[in-house]
Amino acid sequence: MKKNQKKWTVIIGVVVVLLNLASSWYSVNFNESRILAPMDYSEYIFQWKDLPMIASVVLAVLYMLYIMFFIIKTDRETKRQVADSNKTRKISPFFGFFGCFGFFGFLGFYTYHLDKNISPFFAFAFFGFFGFFYEGKMSGILMDERYRENLIRAQLTALKTAFVIIGVTLFLVGSGRLLGNLEYTLIAMVILVSLAFALALFLSEYLLYRYDHDDLYSESEE
Amino acid sequence: MPDFECRLKTFRQMKNMTQEQLATQVGVRRETIMRLEKAQYNPSLKLAVDISRAVEAPIEEIFIFD
Repeated sequence: MKKNQKKWTVIIGVVVVLLNLASSWYSVNFNESRILAPMDYSEYIFQWKDLPMIASVVLAVLYMLYIMFFIIKTDRETKRQVADSNKTRKISPFFGFFGCFGFFGFLGFYTYHLDKNISPFFAFAFFGFFGFFYEGKMSGILMDERYRENLIRAQLTALKTAFVIIGVTLFLVGSGRLLGNLEYTLIAMVILVSLAFALALFLSEYLLYRYDHDDLYSESEE
Repeated sequence: MPDFECRLKTFRQMKNMTQEQLATQVGVRRETIMRLEKAQYNPSLKLAVDISRAVEAPIEEIFIFD
């Protein structure tokens, strides 16, 4: 993505968010929270006051579609570049901070007590993005045969570890006797499987980095 | 850990090559050459042949297995 294009993508994103906030404010204050609050759409009749909310939602959906299209396009370009150059994809270690999104998983405890919504627990899987720290450190390097061997070894170890955790979880929690409550059992399953997923993502990058760097700098070139 | 002796460093120095030059010539990273010289990595047959050609020495003299 060109710098100018990136700048405009961010600016449009901010504008879309501001428009949504403004139209929500308008809907709450001047349109009885229509569209914003849950309503029966089978009896919906268009009113001109609904237009700001409808327009901002349509804009938000179009923007999200553009972002999805852009992500797919970038991913394809990156894969082609990786195949052509035989080098790992270029990625900044700062993307590792996306792992902090994993903390949103704790919101699940709040939403569960609020309205029995357990979907935020899945956010624990985002802890796996901490692996970007290590992928970033290994970015743009030649993928020679030792790298590929290490990659397979790291992925295998990570997947085995996650698989064991999921297996133990299924055995202990899945029996339903540990917590004595079906809802708590489901929550524990979602949390533990999400964490196992995150661990697999993180561990494959971390182990690859460790295998590649262990004892490497103890000897200098002559 | 591979159980062999590697004399790559000797042959490389005889050819006045740096690890970086050898790595570029055989299409691997310098870190891989470093590991090879420390006998910490067991190369594929193709890489062993490439290295043998690059340093102009027989494979069995570069990699000595018991």
